[in-house]
Amino acid sequence: MEPTIRLEKVSTIYEGERRPAVRDISLILNENELIYVVGPNAAGKTTLLETINGLLSTSKGEVFVLGLNVRVRGKDVRREIGYVPQDFMVEPGEPYTALDVVLMGRYGKIGVLNKPDEYDLERATEAMRLMGVDELTNRPMGKLSGGQQQKVMIARALAKEPKILLLDEPFSNLDPDSREKVPALIGQIHEERSMTTIVVTHDVHQMLKRCRRVIVMNSGRIIADETPQKALAILERPTGSRAAELLT
Amino acid sequence: MIWLDLVIIQRALIGCLLAGLLTGLIGVFVVRMRLSAIGYSMSHGAFAGAALGVAASVNPLLTALSFSGATALLIGPVADKARLHADTVTSIAFPLNMALAFIFLTLSPQIGLSSEVASVLWGSIISMTNNDLVYMTALCASTVALIHFFWKELFAIMYDRKLAEADGINTKPFVYFIIFLVGLVVTLSLKLVGGILIFALLFNPASSALQFLHDMKKIVIVSPAIGSMTCVSGLMVSLVLDLPVGSCIVLVSTFIFGLSVLLSPKRRRKEVKQ
Repeated sequence: MEPTIRLEKVSTIYEGERRPAVRDISLILNENELIYVVGPNAAGKTTLLETINGLLSTSKGEVFVLGLNVRVRGKDVRREIGYVPQDFMVEPGEPYTALDVVLMGRYGKIGVLNKPDEYDLERATEAMRLMGVDELTNRPMGKLSGGQQQKVMIARALAKEPKILLLDEPFSNLDPDSREKVPALIGQIHEERSMTTIVVTHDVHQMLKRCRRVIVMNSGRIIADETPQKALAILERPTGSRAAELLT
Repeated sequence: MIWLDLVIIQRALIGCLLAGLLTGLIGVFVVRMRLSAIGYSMSHGAFAGAALGVAASVNPLLTALSFSGATALLIGPVADKARLHADTVTSIAFPLNMALAFIFLTLSPQIGLSSEVASVLWGSIISMTNNDLVYMTALCASTVALIHFFWKELFAIMYDRKLAEADGINTKPFVYFIIFLVGLVVTLSLKLVGGILIFALLFNPASSALQFLHDMKKIVIVSPAIGSMTCVSGLMVSLVLDLPVGSCIVLVSTFIFGLSVLLSPKRRRKEVKQ
């Protein structure tokens, strides 16, 4: 059976850079798998997510998502992926309500020339209710707190009814209470909807509690693909020791 | 106060209403997609084209249309090819078009600032023909229809192009479409305000509407209304004070923008918070 996500020796290099942001990455994720990706800043975590959804083109190797080559069928792949980018904040005064933003998540899926209908609206309001932001429906996005905006962005990704969920630091602006509740909720929705989910985070505590598989990245490479406990042990070693061992 | 033929005034009024509506509507996308330099570039592209028309004794509208069309068609692909922001490429096209315009005007067989050259520079309501109004009406109708059909995609791109792309929307054709539309709108509005001042009409009404409203759907209705009102008021001021129409329209639109910044509830609430 074709894995949901398959990366074959993938490298992605940014325009003007000499060193790839992710290097020679091979990775397989099966249906309904939930993994956390951890690593220091500039480890290549965000680049990995944007390589998977095809927002960034690979300089080497191929990415297959849902059996489709992302290089060729990027648009079709992205219609099935719910993506929450890192630190996405809206300026105060932006003319978009929270509901606009959540509903917008479905636009790619709806297709050109089709208008959102009752079903789309129901999915959007359901996702907002799940994330506990249904009372903010008509509030301007820019007037919401950082944590509320982050929940709206997660609701936006869920409203799409994606087969794959890519979350880049989705809990960073949440208050302590939500930092416990939202990851648990993501785990629950992941189970219920059989989504393949990748969560990039710095929150080791959540990593230990919420998944069975952790990818540790450093300098653009995957240096470990382990259970959370083993991944934690690697992370707690002196900086670079495991990385140095694997890179030489 | 100047007295003009009633037909000329009627044409000017209708022209003002249509140009204000068009620039106000398309301006929302220019402002929200941060394509401001495109406004400058298009207007100066049209200006260079019109100057070529004057120099070559060809209908300036046609040459203006070709120049702004070519500029519009080239900006998007060149920006993508050079991996530069569209604003950067337009900033390169802007002085190029100006340089070409001055060369064409220098080569013009007409001496000094002839009426045709002046109408390209500053606009001239007297030179507005029935054909111009027909073109503008057709462009108005097709622009409104296209925006209605592709509103969903344009709305998402205006929010954030990268996110729209991440949702599976192919953003490129829509951005190119807006750039091309800007070229057409600018060219057809050139006779009213002139090549130098036209971009004020692209930014001021949309920026004024954004001071008051939180709903994008309302903004795309209010901005064209402000645009039309601005153009008609500017025309009236120009007729009463016997001043150039384009300049009066720009002064009125800047005044409305200043007023909306002062009265903006968004700004007031922010100040109260501070």
